[in-house]
Amino acid sequence: MPACAARLALTVLAACCALLAGCQSLREEPPSFPQSGSSTPRPGQPPQPVSPQAGQAGQATPGSPEAAQPPAQPPRPAKQYRLGAASSALVAQAHKQLVGGDFGLAAATIERAMRIEPDNPLLWIELGRVRYTAGDVSQADSMGRKALALATGDPQAQALAWRLRADSLRSLRRNEEAADADRRAEGLSPR
Amino acid sequence: MVVIVATVYGFYLNREVTRQFEGRRWTLPAQIYAAPLELYAGLTLPLGDLEHELERLQYRKVDKLDRPGTFRQQGSRVDIALRPARFSDESRGASVLSVSANATGIEALRDSGGKDVPIVRLEPLLIGSIFPTHGEDRIVVTPQDVPPLLPAALKAVEDRNFDSHHGVDPAAIARAIWVNLRAGQIEQGGSTLTQQLVKSYFLDSRQTLGRKLHEAAMALALEAHFTKADLMNAYINEIFLGQDGDRAIHGFGLASRFYFGKPLSELDLSEVALMVAVVRGPSYYDPRRHADRARRRRDLVLKLMAERGVVRPADAEAAARKPLGVTTRGGGTYYPAYLDFVRRTLHRDYRTEDLTREGLKIYTSLEPRAQDQAERALEQELERLDHAKKYPGTKLEGAVVVTSPQSGDVIAIVGSRNVGYDGFNRALDARRPFGSLVKPFIYLTALESGRYNAATIVQDEPVSIKLANGRLWQPENFTRQTYGPVPVVRALAESLNLATVGVGMDIGLPKISATLQRFGLPRAPAEVPSMLLGAIDVTPMEAAQMYNGLADGGFRTPLRAVRSVISEDGKTIRAFPLQVAPLATPENIYQLDRMLEQVMVRGTGRAAHTMLPANLVVAGKSGTSSELRDNWFAGFSGSHLAVVWVGYDNNLPTGFTGSSGALPVWARLMSGLGTTSWNVTMPDSLAETWIDFSTGGLVEAGCAEDAVPIAVPAGTEIPIRAGCRQSGVESIVKRAGEWLRDIMH
Repeated sequence: MPACAARLALTVLAACCALLAGCQSLREEPPSFPQSGSSTPRPGQPPQPVSPQAGQAGQATPGSPEAAQPPAQPPRPAKQYRLGAASSALVAQAHKQLVGGDFGLAAATIERAMRIEPDNPLLWIELGRVRYTAGDVSQADSMGRKALALATGDPQAQALAWRLRADSLRSLRRNEEAADADRRAEGLSPR
Repeated sequence: MVVIVATVYGFYLNREVTRQFEGRRWTLPAQIYAAPLELYAGLTLPLGDLEHELERLQYRKVDKLDRPGTFRQQGSRVDIALRPARFSDESRGASVLSVSANATGIEALRDSGGKDVPIVRLEPLLIGSIFPTHGEDRIVVTPQDVPPLLPAALKAVEDRNFDSHHGVDPAAIARAIWVNLRAGQIEQGGSTLTQQLVKSYFLDSRQTLGRKLHEAAMALALEAHFTKADLMNAYINEIFLGQDGDRAIHGFGLASRFYFGKPLSELDLSEVALMVAVVRGPSYYDPRRHADRARRRRDLVLKLMAERGVVRPADAEAAARKPLGVTTRGGGTYYPAYLDFVRRTLHRDYRTEDLTREGLKIYTSLEPRAQDQAERALEQELERLDHAKKYPGTKLEGAVVVTSPQSGDVIAIVGSRNVGYDGFNRALDARRPFGSLVKPFIYLTALESGRYNAATIVQDEPVSIKLANGRLWQPENFTRQTYGPVPVVRALAESLNLATVGVGMDIGLPKISATLQRFGLPRAPAEVPSMLLGAIDVTPMEAAQMYNGLADGGFRTPLRAVRSVISEDGKTIRAFPLQVAPLATPENIYQLDRMLEQVMVRGTGRAAHTMLPANLVVAGKSGTSSELRDNWFAGFSGSHLAVVWVGYDNNLPTGFTGSSGALPVWARLMSGLGTTSWNVTMPDSLAETWIDFSTGGLVEAGCAEDAVPIAVPAGTEIPIRAGCRQSGVESIVKRAGEWLRDIMH
């Protein structure tokens, strides 16, 4: 019973602390740590499962009844990135500038679009293509990597990014990596 | 003999005058422009803010659009008569644009024919120029840029017979003497415009009879060689019209910007009259310092213009009723810290002479809205902190750097709380201990080792390390307590020193030093254990470069203020294109950034939520150096990164921490940027899971009050926190039952 009372008291205390923390104005020093009474060991609770080799990842041995893997992620619905109206217009303008041979201008125009949609992998692929055409293949490959990092969940965009990387890597004479990039592109979106 | 001397003198004058006048290229300081505001459907920019942006560019609100530089509002639509504009990549003529907007932003843009336009830029704001020290600054105008009233007014007031005299006007001299004697003050000068031009061009201002005669002879020679139109144009670009510190304001083009903040072509009658009034004595008739004097002189100019038939008397009277209309100085358009950064960037590539003479146009990334917001946030919060401070009479100082992480654009820099004054630029030059801002780089190195993740239990326990000098190093937590076994996410979110030192020593100082330098620390830090608590001096700009890599998904994007340099004839002579280089895997950065998100939810950054829009996801880290001398906060959203430093110039302890000193500045700034949530899609090889914040045990989302989401490599096994791990729907029922049982027990 005393353990129970103590726990109840702690619960109430924790709730109060949480409320206080919520009302915490910026004008005050944040409460000293720990907050919400969260780090004080709670009486009446079983000892926390601490890994025997603290400081190591994968602490619990596989198969241990006390360990589990995070639940499998539900399959992500496939995304499909598109360009907004403003970006589309700018990309079209950049393509004209590219035909005219003005790589710098074309790149600057795509950068304008990127300021509007910085997370759109299609724009990074566009900029990578401009760099590739201009002969800056190392930047083209980096833009491909950046596009890949943004294109998670969109196989079409990923395939475009891998193809950009494949072309760039081939120009860099990194043929094995280029072939691998091609295979990945093909796997995501067969030509 | 006299004839010979006169002939030789005549030849000399002729040669001198033609050589100087024809060979004269005005030294054209480079002009520096802010980023142009892009308007497009979907832009978050309420109508009120659009109007504010137009007013910043000195567009006038009118009932009926009459000329470029005006706009009108009709319900939810704003029609803008755009000025002709030159951008870094193209020029555009004047045109009319209709903007439809709702409460949150722009819905559609249409041209004068009602056709939809996808995107339109407003012209970039001129934010400064690079003039030589103690030198002339000017914006050269062509005759088409000059409102016809200006030469007419100059002639009416300064030189009535300009069109007919040969450079000197004896009648004017006699009349001036007579008028001035009668009035008891200088109302008229006897010098022709040509003589004034000669004086400004060739001679100094000593008033001796010999000089006067020489000046007159040169004026005659000038008149013999050049047309009146050439001379008037030269006068309009040459004449001295004001002083701004070291900077001499020459020509009406710049003077119009300097006094009214708008192009010369848009000046109205009263403004033209004021400019002509100032010609007589830019210091004596300074409209900012001696408004009454300037106003009397302006009204006199208006009277003379009416008397001499330049304007109708009724118009002159109406203009005389208007206020002077000059802008306040430093009023939001002078950004010395940013210009300082621009100059330093350019000095790597250009000689000073090129920058001050060649008429370059420099296009930068400055976003005036963000800059104003950063300045206000720093000023207001430091004002408040000063009231609560320890040292009366000593003022806290601060610095702010704001970037767009993906593009590497530096969009705002504040180098001091006195935002309008050119002085010590703390954003670039204050090198201060990094404090806990170093911790994310330690944990990133730990993630990269493959031996740590957000749920890994680390020991927050007393540390005692024997240093090379034989002394013991025994750091403490900020609270002077120890917390025992805690998960990494908590050690970072609560900035636990002892746990971090343990991780850092396990990983090794050389690896951490390498990470710091990879992210942009320009010097190798001393590899001593105190490095793990941020005994590394960095400037706010360096901190911004390093954190930009965390905000930009693990890519290095060199921060840039200058986008391009355009020559006088419109050619791009230098571009600073966007560049990226991978610094860390997207997976490791994602795991780290999710932990930095917890800093803002549960850790030392959580107080920011009282100021930030609800549901805005941000990530960041506070930092405080020893004895609270330096307060840092570095944090980012999906579209902005801001680094704030607060401290005393003399390095006194502030009494504040990163959370109480720098964080409020950061939060106030971010709340006004219209920023978007940090929202990166989790890489496929990671899994999101929930753990107990205190113990690191695996729990279900929402199971415990302390449950926090983390990202770990898929397949990572995490010990289950007892009593808080079920699966499926039944678990809620079960959990409720357990809770009841616990309570009743």
